[in-house]
Amino acid sequence: MTIGGWIVMTVSIGSVVSLLLFCLYRVFTLPPIDKE
Amino acid sequence: MVSDSPSGVPSDTTNTTLSKPVRAKEHWGSRIGVILAVAGSAVGLGNFLRFPGQAAQNGGGAFLLPYFISLLVLGIPLCWAEWTMGRYAGLRGFHSAPGVFSVVCRTPKARYLSVFALLIPLVIYMYYVVIEAWCLGYAFHYLTGGLMKGNDTEAYSSFFSNFVGDSKDGWVFGGGRQLLAFIGVTFLLNFILIYRGVSKGIETFCKFAIPMMALCAICVLVRVMTLPSDKVVEGLGFMWNPDFTKLKEPKTWLAASGQIFFSLSVGFGVIINYASYLKKKDDVVLSGLTACSMNEFFEVCLGGLITLPAAFIFLGATVGTFGTFGLGFNALPNVFAQMPMGQLFGFLWFFMLFLAAITSSLSMLQPVIAFFEEGFGLQRSGSVSLLGIITLLGSGFVVYFSNGLKAMDTLDFWVGTFLIFVLAMIQSVIYGWVFGIERGAEESKVGAHIRIPHAIQLLLKYVVPVYLGAIFVMFCKNDVLSSKDADGNHKPGYLEQIYNDDVAFMSLIFIGGMTCFLLAMIHVAGARWLREGKFETIEALKGENI
Repeated sequence: MTIGGWIVMTVSIGSVVSLLLFCLYRVFTLPPIDKE
Repeated sequence: MVSDSPSGVPSDTTNTTLSKPVRAKEHWGSRIGVILAVAGSAVGLGNFLRFPGQAAQNGGGAFLLPYFISLLVLGIPLCWAEWTMGRYAGLRGFHSAPGVFSVVCRTPKARYLSVFALLIPLVIYMYYVVIEAWCLGYAFHYLTGGLMKGNDTEAYSSFFSNFVGDSKDGWVFGGGRQLLAFIGVTFLLNFILIYRGVSKGIETFCKFAIPMMALCAICVLVRVMTLPSDKVVEGLGFMWNPDFTKLKEPKTWLAASGQIFFSLSVGFGVIINYASYLKKKDDVVLSGLTACSMNEFFEVCLGGLITLPAAFIFLGATVGTFGTFGLGFNALPNVFAQMPMGQLFGFLWFFMLFLAAITSSLSMLQPVIAFFEEGFGLQRSGSVSLLGIITLLGSGFVVYFSNGLKAMDTLDFWVGTFLIFVLAMIQSVIYGWVFGIERGAEESKVGAHIRIPHAIQLLLKYVVPVYLGAIFVMFCKNDVLSSKDADGNHKPGYLEQIYNDDVAFMSLIFIGGMTCFLLAMIHVAGARWLREGKFETIEALKGENI
């Protein structure tokens, strides 16, 4: 595997996992809908 | 009349017909429930089998650049547009595509445009449920050990051929009838869940299925990553090493846009229907983004790390040339047979594909169920029975004409690819130019926990329709019309196949017949809504200011 391959893989997977974790964190830390 | 407020927004307890009492209006039970349901609709076989193949054939890691650009420019904005329009129409008493289109366009005549939003999920279900049954059958054969056939490549293609009957029409109703049992179980499970409704059926199942899918996929990922490290690194290199010269080729950009577009389920008529069950204060922006990111996780992180690297480790570079079915049902079983504890991991893999497929097929049934109930006042048992009969006939057609999987391939091309483009273009024009980006921006802000940047709205109005149109023209040139391949040989397009192949011709007649049938039903349902005053909501909307 080339250095380019490692970089593309790390950046792609890192970005997707970060976005998913950010979204899930926001969703699970929101107050229940009926209390908003 | 359903409207009970000046803006035409009915309360949550309003009944949807006047002729007879109907059950309470359906809603999602929780915030995460709808996110998992939409993600479940999007995550399917394409995430694990199509994406890695597309990447390998189009520059490996370099493919990810046009892929992420398409996600940001096309995928996420279109998802937000569908979520916004769906909730808007749902709050005004409509869940079915004809009703949603009428409300969003503010004219009852727009309901005819929605025919593809019913046809696409209905016809895709007819062949998708068959593929779903293949996955269940493969999972079963791993449990019983019937698929541990050593490293003989021919044994796996022969098993697949016998199982699906791709060498003879009618094979499944004769010597290959074991597939019928798996199709029966799959049909039954789908219809039991859909009968239970949006919250108790789809949402409850997705809350179990998505975490289970992630768990199964992570188990297989750990197994693949703990194989001899030099081979793993080679396998990862095959998938991820970038070949930037491929970025100069238009087909790479076309493949990336197509992958994003089909992967996120935009233009299926599903998101609009699911979003119509949201409540007024439910968020659409964060929920839409979360569902998209969940789909990307399954596709890039799990699909990108498991499928091709594993196949490359055992089978070498030839796996790059395999198609979706070849990779999934011929190459991977060979890989699991050679892997330590392959029987267990093979079962986990195909069981996960089965769960991924079932969460998608459920989402294809719901838009049509919603139309039958809303358009004709049917109770759930009636609508489920009617849909069951229609889909059984369609699936019977696909299963009978199994030679070369021609019926499935033709339906998938014209409905599952061509018409999805058409519907997505219709929806993007409706959002940008009829519903309006100003109204869209205001609607999306209600209950939102993050804001959509204004630039995205401009993108939806000016860029997305043009971008989609350009991809569509290139797609037609490549696949609909005949062309010459790299060696100068004649490559028949799908249009030419209609003239030369009886099954392809019959499949197109079938699609035409279904379209006419649905148009007639939309007409009758619209006449009923006019009689009952349901469209008075639309009259109220005409006076609505942003």
